[in-house]
Amino acid sequence: MNTFYGWVGALAASGWLPADFQYPFLTRGFLCVLILSPLLGGLSHLVVTRRMAFFSAALGQAAITGVAIGLLLGEPLNAPYGGMFGFCLLTTLGMVYVKRHSALPPDTLIGVFHALSLGLGLCLLVALARQFNVHQVESVLFGSLLTVTDADLLLLVGVAVIVAVLVFRQYNSLLLDSLSPPIATVAGAQSAFLEYLFAMILTLSIVVSLKVIGALLVEALVVVPAAAARNLAGSARSYFLWSITVAFLASAGGLGISTKLLVPTGGAVVLAATAIFFVTLAGSALLRRKQQQTGR
Amino acid sequence: MNDEPPLIELVDVSVRVRGEHLLTGVSMSVAPKSIHLIVGPNGAGKTTLLASLLALVVFDGQIIAHWRGSGEIGYVPQSFAVDPSLPVTVQDFLALTRQRRPVCLGLTASARRRVTELLHEVGLQGLERRPLSVLSGGELRRVLLAHALDPIPELLVLDEPASGLDEGGVRQLEELLQTLRSGGTTVLMVSHDLDQVRRIADHVTVLDRSIVTQGSAEEALALDRVLALLPSERNRRARG
Repeated sequence: MNTFYGWVGALAASGWLPADFQYPFLTRGFLCVLILSPLLGGLSHLVVTRRMAFFSAALGQAAITGVAIGLLLGEPLNAPYGGMFGFCLLTTLGMVYVKRHSALPPDTLIGVFHALSLGLGLCLLVALARQFNVHQVESVLFGSLLTVTDADLLLLVGVAVIVAVLVFRQYNSLLLDSLSPPIATVAGAQSAFLEYLFAMILTLSIVVSLKVIGALLVEALVVVPAAAARNLAGSARSYFLWSITVAFLASAGGLGISTKLLVPTGGAVVLAATAIFFVTLAGSALLRRKQQQTGR
Repeated sequence: MNDEPPLIELVDVSVRVRGEHLLTGVSMSVAPKSIHLIVGPNGAGKTTLLASLLALVVFDGQIIAHWRGSGEIGYVPQSFAVDPSLPVTVQDFLALTRQRRPVCLGLTASARRRVTELLHEVGLQGLERRPLSVLSGGELRRVLLAHALDPIPELLVLDEPASGLDEGGVRQLEELLQTLRSGGTTVLMVSHDLDQVRRIADHVTVLDRSIVTQGSAEEALALDRVLALLPSERNRRARG
């Protein structure tokens, strides 16, 4: 990878690329953005269609608890993936299982898990503060490009490939199951399998994105791109493509803002995403008004 | 009624949800190539009966299918709520089970052709690119019917398919069902419209959490205990 960073750095030095790309961490960050945009942006339109926005928020909170568990179990400070993935997976399976076996509304049940993981996380972080400087886990909470390593990048690529294969194989069934579980079941889809599968895909994607976006903000990138895309799209295809485009613009814009203004990457990405959302919202409202006037 | 063995047999089917009996000891059979209607008051368990047949709910008892052909089932549910901001078009929806390629990557030429044919069959030609969320209730019912008709099912299960349809739409639906029956499809349908039941039913089951009576439309709808269950029928007779 060093050769690649050197080559990009040379291009930046000779003026072919922006000067910031002389720094390998920024090149690595941009590569993360190129992978995260289709990964989270692509998933976001299914997350919103399957009404799993709150579920994603609960997963982000669970990741904080997972980090604390990982560090307490002795995982390295810059890669507590075992604790994060283990606890997030347990939370995911618990949420889906209870949702499928309880008559209570899904948002109520997710709220219970949300509170549980946050409470546990806070207690564990206090325990952690006796062993570590708790500010060292800030990068996981808010996201930081400085802590992203080549190994993180490779993990992101690997997960993105697995997620793409799984989602594309099951995409039509997932969408039909989102629209009408009974019709999907009669058409041969296994609703329970799809629900568990998608929840695990989402968990995996969120966990590998945390170091860039941050646990507190990652759910925004799996909700806001699709919300913005809904203001623009007129079909399933354009919904998918706009979700990815918005995720890319928000991530690349956020990366630029965080580098220039020295603010956390996750916060900058989320601000960029929400700014795009409000622009699309205003744009679609203006367009509708114009169409109504033309129609009169 | 024909004398062939049944396509579907329900033997002592019961459904209990959180302690409440929604269906108790339902035994009935559905003859092949027939139009079999289920009627009953609200809360009689009609939708639950269809859900049992489609294995959408847990039930006690036995449901036996004696398939003679493809064993394909088409289903039009009673409710289909569409998120008003969802950008999924009619052709996206119908292509979901008609192509392997993810619909978000675009539609195949063969799926497009088939969607156009299906929409023509249900009288919705030209609505391919219209979002599901802007369709009227009647149009949405027809889209669901188009979905259920491909591939041509051996058993077509419809839960109040005429609700939301105008008079012309109801007639078109009835003609379509009769054409399907002639082609070998068995139709099992819930309806509240007793005039429609008289027009198209080969066999009627009156349900009120258990079976009240079964038989031809004239036989089943003539009984006093059925009259007591179905206010619309009572009113019709009162009007003379």
